[in-house]
Amino acid sequence: MSETKYLETHEWYIVDGDNFTVGISDFAQGELGDIVFITLPEVGQEFNKGDAIVEVEATKTVAEAYAPMNCVITEVNSNLEAEPELINSDPVGDGWMVKAEIKEMDDSGMTYQEYESFIS
Amino acid sequence: MSELKTTSLYEFHLNKNSKMIDFAGWSMPFSYDGTLKEHNYVRQSAGYFDVSHMGRLRLSYSQIEDINYLICSELNELDNTKALYSIFTSDTGTAIDDVIFWKFEDDLILICNASNTSKIKNHLDTNSINYEDLTDETDLIAVQGNKAISIIEEMMVIPNKFSTSKDSKYIYARTGYTGEDGVEVMLDQKDTLKFIQQLEAKGVMPCGLGSRDTLRLEASLPLYGFELTDDITPVEAGLKWTLSNKSDYMGKSVIEEQINSKQHKYLKRFKLNAKQIARTGTVCKAGNINGIVTSGNISPILGYPIGFAMFETNPSDNLVEFDIRGNLIEGNLLDKRFLS
Repeated sequence: MSETKYLETHEWYIVDGDNFTVGISDFAQGELGDIVFITLPEVGQEFNKGDAIVEVEATKTVAEAYAPMNCVITEVNSNLEAEPELINSDPVGDGWMVKAEIKEMDDSGMTYQEYESFIS
Repeated sequence: MSELKTTSLYEFHLNKNSKMIDFAGWSMPFSYDGTLKEHNYVRQSAGYFDVSHMGRLRLSYSQIEDINYLICSELNELDNTKALYSIFTSDTGTAIDDVIFWKFEDDLILICNASNTSKIKNHLDTNSINYEDLTDETDLIAVQGNKAISIIEEMMVIPNKFSTSKDSKYIYARTGYTGEDGVEVMLDQKDTLKFIQQLEAKGVMPCGLGSRDTLRLEASLPLYGFELTDDITPVEAGLKWTLSNKSDYMGKSVIEEQINSKQHKYLKRFKLNAKQIARTGTVCKAGNINGIVTSGNISPILGYPIGFAMFETNPSDNLVEFDIRGNLIEGNLLDKRFLS
């Protein structure tokens, strides 16, 4: 597995061979406040880089998570349907959102250090 | 833009790692532990809110008849030591602000929305009503919750519901904005920190404006700027129960005409059977009647999205369709309050 990378739109992703896992950053969950509903994509759905793949409703506002690269969804974290608060409590762990097969590799995200200076 | 105002508890909030938000020109705590947790503290136990941003004006009892003319409720004949929720109406019957009066034997305290303090002061000036602005020298702390009264009765004499009281330290009333029992306490800024430390020692938790909003919405209470504005009358906002003023008052003829003709906008409660929240500004349609969401969020107690929407006329259909980011989501209009 490669290192966890971050996007300017506050997603994290981690590439593992031909696949990646994506979620939202700790900073993002903190800004959103309590997450109360999540709408996940279907397995098999195709997305291009920058497409909205997940919709997150929080008490404060609504947000979308975007595809870090062209991909096909292979797995969704269905635990989030009943426990969306996992995104608040463990955004880069149990709060992962979807796994996807990479259609076109684009590993141009920021390192954690770069992301930290981006948000500060 | 001018600098944000802060309450005397600003440093205290920062030390508690509160998320701060800009609200009506003030930097105020949004949440300390998370909005849902704070919501549940109040529903299940007790929480306190720094609401010192709200305007507090002392009015002279001698001008009560003149004040009575500016609001839609009966203040003049209200018993001393009672609290009154009312609305300052314009000459077209629309809401200038919704406020609370605390009536005492010798004076009145008027509590207005922070966003409207200047507007209310100007309105009072225009109508030659004198006031003493206490906002910058006092604080206002709301102690609210299922167990709030049993906790705070160790600290002060508890008046009856919607009644006022004062002692050497506190001027207060058994009022609130959460749907739970509790008191709102005005006190000298030098006494605030000690008061809060006493509350915390009794297990009362700090709560921010985020949970104040979800609590008031779930309790079906309007918020000025959303359910009530300069363009909305008390009748349109579903607040006919506030129209207790027995004398003539500003805008009365327009308001009575609306009641008789039933030709006006209608504010309705709604719920969604979906995982989307219909937020402020979302357009909706009940039958062929257009509406717009004034406030919407999850009801933490009910577990589904709720809100208020303003319709052009009275919808006859209880089914309502919301356009949420291009998707049509179905919901229902509710006659009853969200929480029974």
